[in-house]
Amino acid sequence: MEFLLRYLWDILQGFIVTVEVTLFGAFAGLALGTLLALGDLYGGRVVSILIGAYTEFFRGSPIIVQLFFFYFSIPSLLETTFDAFAVGLVVFALNSAAYQKGYIKGAIAVISEDQMMAALSLGLSKIKAIFYVILPQALRLVIPAWSNEFCSLTKSTAALLVIGVKDLTSVGLRISSWHFRYVETFLVVAIIYLAWVTVVTKIADEVYERVKIPGIEISA
Amino acid sequence: MDALQQLALILNGVTSTITVSIVSFFIGIFVGLPLSFLRVYGTKSAQILIDAFEKFFRGVPELVLLLMFYFGVGLYFPFPFKNVFFTANFVLGLRSAANQSQIFRGAIRGIGDEQMMAAMSLGLSKVKSVLYVMLPQVIIYSTPGLGSEYALLIKDSSYAYLIGVVDIMAYAVWIRKATMDTFTPYVISAFLYILLTFPIATFLDRWGSRKKKQLGLERR
Repeated sequence: MEFLLRYLWDILQGFIVTVEVTLFGAFAGLALGTLLALGDLYGGRVVSILIGAYTEFFRGSPIIVQLFFFYFSIPSLLETTFDAFAVGLVVFALNSAAYQKGYIKGAIAVISEDQMMAALSLGLSKIKAIFYVILPQALRLVIPAWSNEFCSLTKSTAALLVIGVKDLTSVGLRISSWHFRYVETFLVVAIIYLAWVTVVTKIADEVYERVKIPGIEISA
Repeated sequence: MDALQQLALILNGVTSTITVSIVSFFIGIFVGLPLSFLRVYGTKSAQILIDAFEKFFRGVPELVLLLMFYFGVGLYFPFPFKNVFFTANFVLGLRSAANQSQIFRGAIRGIGDEQMMAAMSLGLSKVKSVLYVMLPQVIIYSTPGLGSEYALLIKDSSYAYLIGVVDIMAYAVWIRKATMDTFTPYVISAFLYILLTFPIATFLDRWGSRKKKQLGLERR
């Protein structure tokens, strides 16, 4: 395994790319997913159908297809080229938004079941009720689901290899093909992925414990 | 090459996509179901082992596992790991087993200890009460989860094209490379994947929810 020490710097750089894409995807996906959930619930029929089509595309097709679509298909229509890393950021944000929309919608439904009416009866407008009453509670509720989504997002970023982004997996593949040492290299890569996912999940759990409101849980 | 000819070519890959996903789905059931019961009713050491297995296969990207087993383990054990079909099913099957074990475990928890105790108080042995009382209910209880697991497998089977399985994705990439048409093949493949995932996942979800209601198993 000592040969891997020589590539510590390359592995670290690959890991940083993976970290950047997962963090950006998870947080941009959270913001966009919240908007989509609100649009789906309160935006009317047409908006709801459009959001349904969006979600079906991003949840129904493999991540590789989505990456190819945004890396090859769309630029060829516009007759330009896109930077592979930027495509990665955008695709994972859009993909994660489609998944997170579902969780956030569920959380909003749980909260607004009886609180919406209470807020309206206190004289808040619907928009104020959403932003001051429903969302702050719903976003707290969604943290455990967010950390699950973070795990699967991290795993799917390995697909960045197909459009040539030098993420952790593709660095691992290059190193191991130079040395013909696939098992050792990929074991180290796997452990790095596991550690990264574990650390973020632990942080999310801790945050959830701190901010959660006693008595309001998703199973209730 | 017009869109219809491309569609006809890509349709050749559908068999591989479906075969890989169905075979690994059943590997997942046959490995995951015993694991879930062992995890709940087994000894402490069995629980630790199963947790480690689940952690590894759920936390590491499928792509990393595929590359590790095909290139790495295949180097030492050319038979059977150099067979792309075997390796794809092996990796995706065990990944699915780890996922399904969690789905089944959730079902066992959801059904609750009372049924197990009731069965044992009627004089059934532990094995018999698992087989005759818990198992049928667990399977019905977890059909909605299994539906999304199947959809996940259809999508993840696209990773297998990277080690050489000739599925929808592989044909789409070939057509892109041969015709320089970067748009149509990916639209067609995205459409096919959505067509493969959406109806069955929705059907299993509906069927499972209805059946659960009939049997009075929905969450209280």
